[in-house]
Amino acid sequence: MAPSKKKHASGQTCVIPGGFTVLSLQFSPDSPAQHKLCVKEHKVRAERSSHRPMDRTLFVLNIPPYCSEAVVKELFSQFGAVQSVELRDHPGAFQHSGPKLATFFKPAEKKGFKVGYVIFQNSSSVSAAKSHPLDVPLVVSAGQHPVSTGVQKWIQQYRESFIQPDKLQQTVDSFMQDYDKRKEEEVERQKREAEEQQEDEEGWVKVTRGNKGAKARPHSEAANQRTLQKEIVKKKRKELMNFYTWQHKNTQKEHIAQLRKKFEEDKQKIALLRAQRKFRPY
Amino acid sequence: MIPSEPSHDEEENVAPVKAKRSKPEETEGEAEVFHPVKLSRSDLYRPPTAEELNQLKEAESLFHCSLLKMQMEELLREVVLSERRKQQIDCFIQTVTSLLQTVPRSPEVELGDLSWLSGAVKVPFLLIPKASKGKFHMAPPASVNLIGSYPLGTCIKPSIMVDLAVTIPADVLHPKDVLNQRYPRKRALYLAGLAQHLTSSSEIGTMRYSCLHGNRLRPLLLLTPPGKDSSSFTVRVHACPPPGFFKPSRFHPQRNSIRTEWYTGLSKSHIYIGSPVEPPTPHYNSSILGDLLPRAHLQFLSAVSSQCSAFADGVALLKVWLRQRELDQGTGCFNGFLASMLLAYLLTTHRVSNSMTAYQLLRNSLNFLASTDLTVNGISLAKDPDSTPALADMHSAFQVVFVDPSGHLNMCADMTACTYKQVQHEASLSMQFWDDPTVDGFHALLMTPKPMIRTSDHVFQLCELVKLQSSCKKLNLLSELMDHSGNYIDAALPFILSLLQRGLDQRIHLLTHSLSPDPEWSVESEAPKHKAQPPLSFGLILRPELAASVLERGPPADSPKAAEFRQLWGSHSELRRFQDGAITEAVLWNGETSYEKRLVPRQIIAHLLQLHAGIPESSLRYVGAMVDDVIKMGHEVPSTGEEQSLKVVQSYDDLSRKLWRLEGLPLSITSVQGAHPALRYTQVNPLFPPHSFYEKISRSLVPKEGKPCPAYITPVTVICHMEGSGKWPHDHLAIRHIRAAFHISLGELLSKQHRYACKPCPSHLDVWKDGLAFRIQVAYHREPQVLRESVNAEGLLVVRDNEDAQALEMATVHRPLLTSTLHGLQQQHPCFGAVCRLAKRWLGAQLFSEDITEDTADLLVASLFLQPAPFIPPGSPQVGFLRFLHLLSSFDWRNNPLVVNLNNQLTAADYTEIKNDFMASRESLPVMFIATPKDKKLSLWTKQAPSVQMLQRVVMVAAESLKVLESQLMDGNQTQDVRVALRPPLDPYDVLIHLNPKQVPLLSQAVDPPAVKISRGVMSGNVAQSGGALPVIDYNPVSHYLAELREAFGDLALFFCDPYGGTVITVLWKPKAFNPVPFKTSQMFARQVEVTGEEVHTVPNIEAILEDFRVMGKGLVKSVEPRTERWAF
Repeated sequence: MAPSKKKHASGQTCVIPGGFTVLSLQFSPDSPAQHKLCVKEHKVRAERSSHRPMDRTLFVLNIPPYCSEAVVKELFSQFGAVQSVELRDHPGAFQHSGPKLATFFKPAEKKGFKVGYVIFQNSSSVSAAKSHPLDVPLVVSAGQHPVSTGVQKWIQQYRESFIQPDKLQQTVDSFMQDYDKRKEEEVERQKREAEEQQEDEEGWVKVTRGNKGAKARPHSEAANQRTLQKEIVKKKRKELMNFYTWQHKNTQKEHIAQLRKKFEEDKQKIALLRAQRKFRPY
Repeated sequence: MIPSEPSHDEEENVAPVKAKRSKPEETEGEAEVFHPVKLSRSDLYRPPTAEELNQLKEAESLFHCSLLKMQMEELLREVVLSERRKQQIDCFIQTVTSLLQTVPRSPEVELGDLSWLSGAVKVPFLLIPKASKGKFHMAPPASVNLIGSYPLGTCIKPSIMVDLAVTIPADVLHPKDVLNQRYPRKRALYLAGLAQHLTSSSEIGTMRYSCLHGNRLRPLLLLTPPGKDSSSFTVRVHACPPPGFFKPSRFHPQRNSIRTEWYTGLSKSHIYIGSPVEPPTPHYNSSILGDLLPRAHLQFLSAVSSQCSAFADGVALLKVWLRQRELDQGTGCFNGFLASMLLAYLLTTHRVSNSMTAYQLLRNSLNFLASTDLTVNGISLAKDPDSTPALADMHSAFQVVFVDPSGHLNMCADMTACTYKQVQHEASLSMQFWDDPTVDGFHALLMTPKPMIRTSDHVFQLCELVKLQSSCKKLNLLSELMDHSGNYIDAALPFILSLLQRGLDQRIHLLTHSLSPDPEWSVESEAPKHKAQPPLSFGLILRPELAASVLERGPPADSPKAAEFRQLWGSHSELRRFQDGAITEAVLWNGETSYEKRLVPRQIIAHLLQLHAGIPESSLRYVGAMVDDVIKMGHEVPSTGEEQSLKVVQSYDDLSRKLWRLEGLPLSITSVQGAHPALRYTQVNPLFPPHSFYEKISRSLVPKEGKPCPAYITPVTVICHMEGSGKWPHDHLAIRHIRAAFHISLGELLSKQHRYACKPCPSHLDVWKDGLAFRIQVAYHREPQVLRESVNAEGLLVVRDNEDAQALEMATVHRPLLTSTLHGLQQQHPCFGAVCRLAKRWLGAQLFSEDITEDTADLLVASLFLQPAPFIPPGSPQVGFLRFLHLLSSFDWRNNPLVVNLNNQLTAADYTEIKNDFMASRESLPVMFIATPKDKKLSLWTKQAPSVQMLQRVVMVAAESLKVLESQLMDGNQTQDVRVALRPPLDPYDVLIHLNPKQVPLLSQAVDPPAVKISRGVMSGNVAQSGGALPVIDYNPVSHYLAELREAFGDLALFFCDPYGGTVITVLWKPKAFNPVPFKTSQMFARQVEVTGEEVHTVPNIEAILEDFRVMGKGLVKSVEPRTERWAF
């Protein structure tokens, strides 16, 4: 169960191949079992985002569901002041979320295990965290900062679900104002682009790469099907059925072919059912 | 109750094979997938031969498709006897025949002297009265012949019976033996003699007595072959008089063959003062006559069958049809012999032609049965009707008349009119299904068994049959008793049936009764008494619209029929004055709630039987509403919640009217639709607790720590579509904000104009009205479309389907539609809601409510009402529930889509289309595929769940529950506890999380609710119509906990819980959960690392997970019980 035998000695940090350090975490000081967090400095070649500065960001795996961002911040502040914490369902690049939303408009979060990006104020804190020994567990809900779970938490949630209507109205109004502004900007931008494509007085059009906003014929499967169907219907309307002898013969032939096909299909169905013993009446 | 399989753990959840299939096919399970046929062009268009053309044409014109024809052929192949079996039978018959020929002669003795029999063998006859004259001795049989279905070739599996006629030599009998049961006794003695002779032989397996079609006058000796074949077939030995020994005219139905003086032991003057005429004994006569004719019948039938090549197959199909309807065995049954005779009748009267196929023969005979009433217009096979009894005489003596070729014997002598009516009903139903192209006729007619408990809406049983003896006395049935030679059950049955038919009259479609099975007993024991029969069961098929009426309005007081009415109902009949001014006789039954009203037939039956037949209510066992107990509630008046559901719907109607009339909204409302089971009468427990309160913050109540959880109040979802307008933004976040604004303004208007307490939220508006919580959700019809659209990096508009859009469409379009459609169904079938609620209660209790959701369950039940074939729509919750279990357990989900034809919108062409689409892409479709008119290709409701493994388990548990319930309902001797079917087995699960009952808000709905009541802050009594503080709505710690568990550990385990008051959450580890996987940053949840050299693997951190179960459910979890004996960590 323990990662490795020789790293079991007390006060030792436990580093596994891959560069992760294993930390243990328990809910309360008297919890009998511990979760194992894996931490590592954040190092991704592709990402050069100011949100996760390489030298100061600690990448944490396996954060239990009851640890909110605040709790994680509290947990890791023992290694140095924490600037911010980002919790995610899966590791991945930083995504810019849309316009800022009020808390009660945010989509419901998944409450499962998370990965975290802890951004310290000093880069020394990262190495402090990485050299933390395995057998000194981090404690989530210690004396002065109790973390509520279970019934206590749900009651709290229920209380929080009450929002003053005027406050809600205010939020909506401010969002919509914001939205309208953005919309206007968008319209403005499109207009400008359209103007750019206008002829100038000498009759020249400025051609740019990419035809933003220009509508072309839809190239989808459904659209193709639709046009094909239309053609067939048009053809059918014009045609006279069973007028010439050869047409009549053809229809008959077609009919027999249909029957044959059906017969073969049925035979196959029966064979299938027989194989499953579906004909025993009792 | 539930199968206890020892090896039932993870493997069961892995094997993606149907439970029912046997082992060898499992391996080839993948190979037998249906692939669309690909025929080459040359194959399809090659010139047809004449024969092929004929075949194709026949298939097209006769059947809906050639499929039915092939199905019939396959079925016949399953039921006919194999050559090997025939050889076995022939060989055994030869042995028996030669053994029988060697019966030794014995000296002549008096008939009453049984001393010549050794003690080991008893006489298969009830010797009442004891005295009888005549002499008897044993002698070798004059001849031994095969008769019946075996030599005719119409014998089918299962329970193969081979009839062997042993002719009693003429010197044993006397022409006068017809009188006073002398011949039947001699026959019984002769059989006993044969049995005694055969006991010494080792070539006979077992020997038992029985009697032909339950007629005690006609005992049989049953022989089985020795060794392992003993159960494969049975030889029935009949003892017969030599052909022509008795004159057939002696057995005219008006003649008497049992003298009253002999039967009662009293002198004539005691009984019939002034009327010396002896009563006719038609049943006794026909039972002897039946013995004279079997060889003649065999000749006649073989002659007919040699003319018609499909005769044997036709009879076989008809026999299968009868057997599935439980009509082919027992007293007064429509047996295989009658089936052959019926076909012979149709052939000889040229109603069907000799060249017809078996399928056509079956169809024509069903058509004939459906259209001909043999209780009024009997038919006869006699060639010269003049020299034989007239049909009118037959009708006066028997209820059903079908005269044999000799013209003397009524082959339906023992059949009651009710049984024939049942045959007719079944035949006409079958014809109906056959003509309906949307019904799988083959399955409905020949493959689905129709036991009484699943066919009849209500069933009742007469338990103490001995009570019928006194009924016979009360009904003055001495001559009938004599005619049936003391069988008081057969004598009294027709009278009881006609009594009930009169009493129930318009309330029922059909009254049926079970045919008492042929008794069987060993040769060493005495013949069993009549009362040893199993209880007689009666089935009622109700007319739902009339059955529950509490008033029986009779004729006006001055009409001559009034006396008759008073005679029927006795003291219950009273004169009543009605609103239309009429004064009539009337009977009023008790019943306030629909639960009580459904049981009005029970009151009627108990009253009539007590009054006229002297059968006390205690010996009556009424199985009509036993299962309803599960959803029963209400303390003063027993009720099953129909009234409460109605209240919810009425309150909703009121709310929707008020919403429509609201003024001052920026956009108008275009539709208000319910989207909750309560609004289609299918909410499992629609009794809403009046009030629940704890702590108060700003006119609302909130739960409080340390106190029991408040009673649960279900919010009833209402979808409110707003008018489309150019002002709606084209961005999903903005739409959500606008909707929130609508919730606020709706809430303001409702509380201002109607004083309802409201709670607006971004996603909905809760309204507290009439003690019910409504959750109004504003919807904008273009929102799903907006969700699907997104602008990609190049600025092009991309339309991509996604889960959010689908979920929204489900909630705002499909669910409201389903709700209104099913609401309509409830108006047509009053017990629809109750069946749904029973079904969902069962699913919940068996921990399946996550896999078969409420909507799916309602659809499944709806299919029982819309495609009831081979039944008619359920008329009581009980029968509906049993059929639901049967549907779950027997439907072939792998090969068939379940089409639910809501509103009858689908045509036959649609059915074919659905089936073809289904077949073409079976592998990618949901395991449980349900198609509706609005959803022909996707099966929206079952897309997410169930999985193959869960469906397999559902099928298994449903089958087991059905078995337990049916046997319990039909057998009064078992412990009567229908809740057995609702207690899930807990042994297959790996971890049990026990919950603190105080924090389970729906505890009172549990299958076994605790005796101690927990105060949940429920305020009973009158609730203010509106206003007042908002109670705690939709707060259920258990569902919060389950959601968190599933989100955190859904990859590792499955969690199950009964949503209706279950106090235990069961956990099942996924089969592959414990396999170590290589270390990956994206798969490191709730795991710990294991290092071996340079390789790093991770495994679940079980101890920490179990600890998390406790931490996450703090206050709710009582204990976590890991069943480590099932798995190790």
